[in-house]
Amino acid sequence: MSTEVFVAGAAVHPFGKHRGTPTDELGYRAVSELMVTAGVDPGLVDVGFGGSVYGGSLLAQRVMQRVGVSGQPVFTVENACASGASAVNLAWQAVASGSVECAIAFGAENLSAFGGGTLPLTTNDIEIAQGMVMPAAYAMRAQRYLYDWGAAAEDLTNVSIKNRRNGAGNPRAHFQKEVTRDDVDNSRPVADPLRLLHCCPNSDGAAAVVLCSERVAAGLPGPHVRVAASVVRSGRFSTSYRDMTWPDITERTANAAYAQSGFTPDDLDLVELHDAFAIAELLHAEALGIAERGKAHAAVATGQFDRDGRVAVSPSGGLLSRGHPVGATGVAQICEAYWQLTEQAGVLQVPGAHVALTHVTGGGIFGVDNGACAVHILSNR
Amino acid sequence: MTNSFAPPIERAIGAENFLTDGTRAVLRVTRCRDCGSAWFPARAQCSACASRDMTEELTSTSGIAYASSVVRVGPPGFEAPYVLAYVDVDGVRVLAHAQSAEALTPGTPVELCVAMIGADKDGPLLSYAVAPTTEGTSR
Repeated sequence: MSTEVFVAGAAVHPFGKHRGTPTDELGYRAVSELMVTAGVDPGLVDVGFGGSVYGGSLLAQRVMQRVGVSGQPVFTVENACASGASAVNLAWQAVASGSVECAIAFGAENLSAFGGGTLPLTTNDIEIAQGMVMPAAYAMRAQRYLYDWGAAAEDLTNVSIKNRRNGAGNPRAHFQKEVTRDDVDNSRPVADPLRLLHCCPNSDGAAAVVLCSERVAAGLPGPHVRVAASVVRSGRFSTSYRDMTWPDITERTANAAYAQSGFTPDDLDLVELHDAFAIAELLHAEALGIAERGKAHAAVATGQFDRDGRVAVSPSGGLLSRGHPVGATGVAQICEAYWQLTEQAGVLQVPGAHVALTHVTGGGIFGVDNGACAVHILSNR
Repeated sequence: MTNSFAPPIERAIGAENFLTDGTRAVLRVTRCRDCGSAWFPARAQCSACASRDMTEELTSTSGIAYASSVVRVGPPGFEAPYVLAYVDVDGVRVLAHAQSAEALTPGTPVELCVAMIGADKDGPLLSYAVAPTTEGTSR
């Protein structure tokens, strides 16, 4: 793995409710916009990867053939919430290995097809058979975190307020409206201590990036940023005692990414992490090493994670604002980081951003913190 | 004491994973003879060391709550609100319904019992569950 890999273009189909727009159409719109804005000719593309959980068989082929990428190797990837980021990781592997020079990776999802409520999880799982749903899994982590570290429900609300404030300026976000503490406190309880506004919405959307060698990037019209690390890990299975306030899969994935990139948590200017629920930002910030153990709630409360803070966390609004079309989320995070590092983030811009980390983790199966986790580190130098 | 425990007679969720005396429940766990890892539900091969030398054990009827929540938006087949808890029982971490109106505080001692936790089109479904112990005994 010696060839350097670059992101040389990004596109997002705005997240939200797009009932009646199938997953392959959402994916097509994102990839099509990417090809135009990044100036990528279909003949330049050596390989394509598409991530989705519910998009069905051969989603990537159904999308890529519509932009003229037809005949090249194309793969459809399922890895729960990390599906899109896993597609990016596979594209990175292909370019880093030197076997190809240009790859497209996208993620696409339509969750409106399921109606409202909690998402259907994997079947034949002992915890799901007992009535487990994702909000309950994070609610129990939240209860234990608050108990262990002397935090309170208002600390969770601080995360929702910050990320909804960030997302208010993001034209790609599902929710583009700030919320007040009263809004959160008065929202419907979902799984104690989590209320509706502590939870990300189920969204529809798509995102796409082009990954390529420096030679190919130099021939494209737009700016490019270096992929300093691309790492995927699986959950470590255990049915014994487990500290559920410490997402070990995130720690292991992040540590591998820091080792690969040579960067440390102190080098990060911004982080787009997996805040599917408000508690998740606290757990993951600690496991990513941008807050001390048990102190992430204090970091949020004192503004350290604000856009102009010590390290901007979810400056795009995170999953809490942007929404969570599961397979698309990881790619959208990389798009947002690309725009930050190329000074194209507009009102979302983190001043002087040079190094960005994106983190997505998911998969509600028993015995693991999560089934799959992906971390990418991008740098503009 | 476990002589009086037998597989559930009623329709049950995860019927193969526990025994009951009609009131209390014990869990069917496998333990690896090579590395000592405990698995619930039972598995034929150890997920830690890949050994196939596994032995079946039954747990006791008591555990300690690790975390808990009142679930207010549940999936089909379960009547919300209901209380879920992660409970540590003889070295295994188990998710179960809790017979309680509130979330169990971490550290609460619990007794394993059987309870109707859900339903399908043919009627109620039984499973293992936990109840906070009233005597306040802790291990």
